[in-house]
Amino acid sequence: MTQAVRSRPRSALAVARRVAGHLMRGVVMIWVVATISFVIIREIPGDPVLGQYESLIQKGMSPEQAERATAVLYGFLPTGSLWHQYLGYLGSLAHLDLGRSLSTPGVEVTTLIGSAARWTVLPVLAGTLLSFLLGVTMGVYAAIKRSGRLGDLLALSGSLLHGIPVYVIGLLLTAIFATLWPVMPSGGPVDVDFVPGLNAGYVGSLIHHAVLPVVTYTLASYGGWILAMKSNVVAVLGDDFILAAELRGLRRGIVFRYLARNAILPLFTILALSIGMLFGGSIFIEQIFNYPGLGLLLVNSISSRDYALMGGTFLVITIGIVVANIAADLLYTVIDPRVRSGGAT
Amino acid sequence: MTVIINPEGVGDPLTGPATTTRATLRRNFWRGVWRVMRRKPSRMAGVAIVALFALMGVFGPLLYPGHLPRDDNALYAAPSLAHPFGTDFEGTDVLALVVTGARYVLLTGLATALITVALGTAIGLFAGFRRGRWDTALMRLTDMNLAIPGLPLLLVLSTVWKFTGPLEMGLVLGLLGWGGIARAVRSQTLSLRERGFIEAARGLGLPTTHIIGRELLPGMAPYIAMNMLIAVTGAVYAQVGLFFLGVLPFESNNWGVMLNLAVFNGGALTTPAALPYLLAPLLAILLLTLGIVLIVDAMDEIFNPRLREE
Amino acid sequence: MTPPPEVRIKDLTVVYRTPAGELPAVSRVDLTLSPGTITGVVGESGSGKSTLALSLLNAVQPPGRIAGGSVEIDGLGDVLRLGGESLRRTRGSRIGYVFQAAQNSLNPLKTIGGQLLDLGRSHEVDDLRGLVREAKDLLARMGMDGARVLDSYQHELSGGMRQRVGIMLALVLNAKVVVLDEPTTALDMITQATILRIVREIHEERGLTTLVITHDVGAVAEVADTLAVMYGGRVVEHGPVTDVLGSPEHPYTQGLIRAIPRLTGDISLARALPGRPPTLGTLPVGGCVFRERCERRMEVCETVEPARTDHDGRSVACHAAPLTPAKHKEFV
Repeated sequence: MTQAVRSRPRSALAVARRVAGHLMRGVVMIWVVATISFVIIREIPGDPVLGQYESLIQKGMSPEQAERATAVLYGFLPTGSLWHQYLGYLGSLAHLDLGRSLSTPGVEVTTLIGSAARWTVLPVLAGTLLSFLLGVTMGVYAAIKRSGRLGDLLALSGSLLHGIPVYVIGLLLTAIFATLWPVMPSGGPVDVDFVPGLNAGYVGSLIHHAVLPVVTYTLASYGGWILAMKSNVVAVLGDDFILAAELRGLRRGIVFRYLARNAILPLFTILALSIGMLFGGSIFIEQIFNYPGLGLLLVNSISSRDYALMGGTFLVITIGIVVANIAADLLYTVIDPRVRSGGAT
Repeated sequence: MTVIINPEGVGDPLTGPATTTRATLRRNFWRGVWRVMRRKPSRMAGVAIVALFALMGVFGPLLYPGHLPRDDNALYAAPSLAHPFGTDFEGTDVLALVVTGARYVLLTGLATALITVALGTAIGLFAGFRRGRWDTALMRLTDMNLAIPGLPLLLVLSTVWKFTGPLEMGLVLGLLGWGGIARAVRSQTLSLRERGFIEAARGLGLPTTHIIGRELLPGMAPYIAMNMLIAVTGAVYAQVGLFFLGVLPFESNNWGVMLNLAVFNGGALTTPAALPYLLAPLLAILLLTLGIVLIVDAMDEIFNPRLREE
Repeated sequence: MTPPPEVRIKDLTVVYRTPAGELPAVSRVDLTLSPGTITGVVGESGSGKSTLALSLLNAVQPPGRIAGGSVEIDGLGDVLRLGGESLRRTRGSRIGYVFQAAQNSLNPLKTIGGQLLDLGRSHEVDDLRGLVREAKDLLARMGMDGARVLDSYQHELSGGMRQRVGIMLALVLNAKVVVLDEPTTALDMITQATILRIVREIHEERGLTTLVITHDVGAVAEVADTLAVMYGGRVVEHGPVTDVLGSPEHPYTQGLIRAIPRLTGDISLARALPGRPPTLGTLPVGGCVFRERCERRMEVCETVEPARTDHDGRSVACHAAPLTPAKHKEFV
């Protein structure tokens, strides 16, 4: 009597289906955010779009010219029904056209965002990676030594840091290391004295100026990793297969790997969330450290009433988070065999 | 094929005859709480800290005159006995500013926490209870709520909506933040459902409100309470941050306003003069967070016996 | 084929640290597993039987610890004196342990084959291919497609299959002592019967010394040669399974048997044991551990712990035993 093993559907199909699901949800998200932007731009008191149109006419343009000029700026016509404007807006988005900036006249929003993106993405990714590595290692330690004082302290430090706002950390670090005891530069991405390029001076200065922001990001999110990893390790330690592995005489290194991989796995679902939080935090960090990233761009666009830029930046930030979500889930799918076979996680 | 059938009979020798009245349970519970607190005195510090801030929020502004005194002779004064944290750009005592500024922050935090928890629990319960199409729809909504970046959205919203007053702020923040609780409550409801609580109650003919109120919620109450406290920290984070960025109008003094003025007016990040003005609200936020974290930690250990160290 | 080893448990005491102090889960147990036999240990939850099983591998987990005694196995010495690497090498290759059926004893993230190879590498098996072949053979004996199972993850297998994989992993390194902890709990009756049969067959084929822990008297009657009955951390009766079940001498064993409803006859003849099994905290101190529920309780039971008396190849620890031959008829 041979019992049938439950058949395993082609794993590629299962993975593809998951990705497709995520992509769809991502597209919906982007659409929702775009709609919100559109509605808000239209609702801004003083109707800046119409105002722009009218000021252009006052400057001597013909109505059609003014219309087109405004449309280039904002992505939709200043006149016409709401529905028409909405469709026009979505249309320009589909063409990857986010309009033009008012504060930097004539420059396309996409260009501005393009040059700002790296100042956000790189520090955020570096911070996430560092905090992940640190937090996971300490989390394992905190779990194994959880009845001791050190383990307790580690866990507490994690909870604490997890709750403190990211800008509080940034401000404190700056206050200590840039104002009171000036070892770190207080602002700017790089020292202007250096010539941009792959020379030691420039790169060195880049890194020097990046230390505080990256450390801020790291400290802000590592708490979450410690807590999550600790609770996972504790849960897996309670799982019977670890004891079973020990009772079968498996080598300690192998048992540890059993433990670690099982405990880390659920963390990947939080990875995207963590990156999302840091993207949000970049709004404060870039303000504090004067980093020309997407966060600063967003804040400045609001204060300079550059609404096309504002909408565009908001959209790109959201897209970034969606992409991070998909990437994290893909990673998870690759690692967890239960997902690949189409089984429940 | 098990062999032993255990009839009623002998009471447990350790605790005496089987009197499990509500009062005894409650007494044992508080005794357990006291034990946990005593084991790590740091937790009592947490309660003390939060109590201190609560008092500050309620009574703080009463301790000082309506308009805090300015002292033109002591602009950005250094810390001294009269002014433990120095003074601000108008010569007003910084400590006074922190104490009076607490009320706005805490009130908003409370409002946010209440709305987050109310919304999140309601949605989570409903989704977990009803399942089917309601569940899927509500979960899609929750996913979206969780995925949309909150802070950028708040910034963008601030262009059209000037949030006046802590209650409005609380409302907006609450509407943005219920996702996490909804998901957690739903999963708790689903797991309780799986254990047959709900079916058993239904089978007994108990009305739905009873099922929710007496069967489901009491089990989840500690978890919800913990999430409420955490929501307060999130709310403090968001609103102080927004004030710091200068996105919201300064109508009254609060910690975020202080941060903003310290950094952008006082140049606290470049010169040490205005540092105390910057550090005081930062310390207040740190302390409040510490207090809440300690309490949540204690609650976790009380309500989650599996975590109790052997 | 190497001769099956004898296992001698002497004066074993295992305590657990509780807020009320260190309480004994196993108290001065003497038990000998004769070479080549299957010994069953029955008892209620809290009787200490699982702790006893873990002690055979010196694997009592905190907050428990072994407080005294020895577990000698022919060819290995006292397992309780082993530690570190030597203990690790013994586990799995010299003593096999099969987990309770309900437990998840396999790594959910690795294939069965992968875990088998880990096992082989940990025990310095040179011929891994041979190991895999051996595993496939064992699995085939138990009615499974070896190649497919080795290629699967544990969530792709049913409960009964996982249990059989557990048995395979315990035997694949040719251990001569095998401990099975509740091997059939949470399995359906048909699978139970199959597993028990497999255990019996392999035991005989390989000449093992086997220990089976269970609370199911029916299961143990089917598979064991000798039976030990545990209560409150002590072995209260021990002997050939037909003797112990057919003419039990200890009041507890008698109570167990009496509580089993017979398939035929009056069901009201089955009488439950009064009272509840003791937990760590409610163990009576001093005197006989069973006295609170015993119908033949005497004054001496309050203060003096009954010593073990041996006769006719069986033993019992009770002040009121052995019974006069006339009483035995009750239990036929």
